[in-house]
Amino acid sequence: MSPIWLFITILVLAAVGFVLGRQRAIASVDDHRNLHSRPNYYGVNVAMLAFGPAVLVLGAWLVIQPIIVNQMVSKLIPARSYEDAGALNLIMSDVQRVAEGLGTAVAEGTLTQAGSRTLDTETSDVRALLGTVGVALGSEVKPEVLKAAQRYRAAAATGAWIMTGAVLLLAVAGFTVAYAQTNGRLRARNRVETGMLWLLIAAATVAILTTIGIVLSLLFNTIEFFRAYPGREFFTSLEWAPSFSGRGGGSKLGIIPLLWGTFYISIVALLVAVPIGLFAAVYLSEYASKRVRAVAKPLLEVLAGIPTIVYGLFALLTVGPLLLTIFGDSGFGWMSGGRAVMTAGITMGVMLIPFVSSLSDDIINAVPQAMRDGSYALGATQSETMRQVILPAALPGIVGAILLAASRAIGETMIVVLGAGAAARLSLNPFDAMTTVTAKIVSQLTGDSDFASPEALVAFALGMSLFLVTLALNVGALYIVRKYREQYE
Amino acid sequence: MKDNNIEGRLLVDQRDLKFKARDVQVYYGDNHAIKDVSVDILDKTVTAFIGPSGCGKSTFLRCLNRMNDTIPICRVEGDIQLDGEDINAPEVDPVQLRARVGMVFQKPNPFPKSIYDNIAYGPRIHGLARNKAELDEIVEQSLRRGALWDEVKDRLQEPGTGLSGGQQQRLCIARAVATHPEVLLMDEPCSALDPIATAQVEELIDELRQNFSVVIVTHSMQQAARVSQKTAFFHLGNLVEYDDTDTIFTNPQDPRTESYITGRIG
Repeated sequence: MSPIWLFITILVLAAVGFVLGRQRAIASVDDHRNLHSRPNYYGVNVAMLAFGPAVLVLGAWLVIQPIIVNQMVSKLIPARSYEDAGALNLIMSDVQRVAEGLGTAVAEGTLTQAGSRTLDTETSDVRALLGTVGVALGSEVKPEVLKAAQRYRAAAATGAWIMTGAVLLLAVAGFTVAYAQTNGRLRARNRVETGMLWLLIAAATVAILTTIGIVLSLLFNTIEFFRAYPGREFFTSLEWAPSFSGRGGGSKLGIIPLLWGTFYISIVALLVAVPIGLFAAVYLSEYASKRVRAVAKPLLEVLAGIPTIVYGLFALLTVGPLLLTIFGDSGFGWMSGGRAVMTAGITMGVMLIPFVSSLSDDIINAVPQAMRDGSYALGATQSETMRQVILPAALPGIVGAILLAASRAIGETMIVVLGAGAAARLSLNPFDAMTTVTAKIVSQLTGDSDFASPEALVAFALGMSLFLVTLALNVGALYIVRKYREQYE
Repeated sequence: MKDNNIEGRLLVDQRDLKFKARDVQVYYGDNHAIKDVSVDILDKTVTAFIGPSGCGKSTFLRCLNRMNDTIPICRVEGDIQLDGEDINAPEVDPVQLRARVGMVFQKPNPFPKSIYDNIAYGPRIHGLARNKAELDEIVEQSLRRGALWDEVKDRLQEPGTGLSGGQQQRLCIARAVATHPEVLLMDEPCSALDPIATAQVEELIDELRQNFSVVIVTHSMQQAARVSQKTAFFHLGNLVEYDDTDTIFTNPQDPRTESYITGRIG
């Protein structure tokens, strides 16, 4: 039985379990008010026990079986036919394709089930045969590959049978046990809640494990990179000049020009976003009438919903040319092209305004009215109250909002690609084109890249560095917010 | 009734008069919260406003320093004079009025600043001190008046929010005193405090009477009896009775007052 049908089967079993469990519970007492739990809990309890363990085993099996089968089959490939793990992987993917092809051939009737097992390279042209069912192979099928493929098919089929049996058995067993236990005194509610608790724990675990997985995958590739490229060069070289001529060959991969570009653009973005966002928040939360606020706040938040690629277009088509007419050759003569730190920085700043303003607005509103009353009662004006009482009280939260905006700015890619150019450059002139870490990660990994070369692997080292920077910022933000949070509570 | 109370017996001496309110009406939207309240508040006297919850005593108190201006739906009518000047006149700046009429709130609300800065806040924004030494002097004097100096003199730079509830409330009183107001309004200043802190604040109120006119809203009739010389009883937005505290508690004229102080309504 295919996994999807198996899944549907146990789902149906669970649904039946729900109905039957509920009925049995109601039937077991003369008045359903005498039940320990509400009738639905008994139903859910049966459904849960029928479905939960079975679906867990099904999921685990689907992940583990291919690994075990691969392991078994790869032993059939003689060690002399490959040099390293990479070559073995290539052969194994051939094996899988042949096995798949055989399966398709059997399904289409070109081959009988028995014929697929006895097929051999001496007597028939396997490549042509598989070609007729739509599986194109690059070379003739080697005898050991065919043998491995046949073994693979056999093992996979056996595995599938055992899986079907085990899952169905477990589902029925869970169903039976829970159904048999169902009576008026069973604490079905507590059981269901325990089950729910495990579901919640599982969800939290998935989130955490994913984070760990991402970090680990970055980490391993970063280590790989530092094997191929000296770490000292990476962190101290002032030049970024990857060569695309071939493997290795004279690339200069220094992170400093990229970090400089990242920070320069982010600082320009924050210089735009923080004052505008903060002033907008102060106006909206303290001065604006209800009607203005009801219109202005959602409008401002629309900015946050615009995809960054659209901001990129805005930078490329509007901000860049505009800056060029003022600061370009016809104006001050500081700017040589539309793409520059200022172009990307200003656009990014616009993107960040709603972050700063919306969060700050919430934080300012969270300052208790008692603070305002206290200040007004001392004869302070609205603006004195704002500057000297509300803003200091809200400061930790506002700093947190700004750091959050900063980590967005550092991680931003599309605006940089379109607005700031691609030249890695160490310059102080904000009207020069520069580029950032994220934009370079994109350019190192797009196109035909060989994942063993330092030119591609450097992307992971860049990603890891960026991750550490934003992590430090987030931790800093959390620390500041925690340290000062209790001040007015 | 209002006439025989206010006009007849209580206009003792015009020179001692601080606030003179006549026919004050307050509306919250469509809700008529205060009806025809007329009252005279004397200088260097503690006046207590008592009455059941929602009777309008806090609302009326907030009229006296125009704190109701900060509530958009609130509308005040009638004549309220401070030292003979109409406080609702267009040329009166509510900000300056509030510097003359200080207020202490139900819950202690120290700013998230140091103890020193809490006190110095008012004097700074009104420019009361010419230099640091004078400001230090004002802070010390105010904290002494707030009966808090001895407890905090060694930790003036620590946050005011770190003090205990009673200390915080005395800090707020000291903060209100620091701007040299003429009248101090207190809106249930002890309702968030324990009995010991309450006793300290009550003692403080009695001392403040030397220099200020104090108006206190309270739910506790014992407190009103202990600290005040004049008592006003509010009921359903009306000022029912206003007289010497002793008279109110021993010989009330109005049956509603009697019911309230004997615990039958409220």
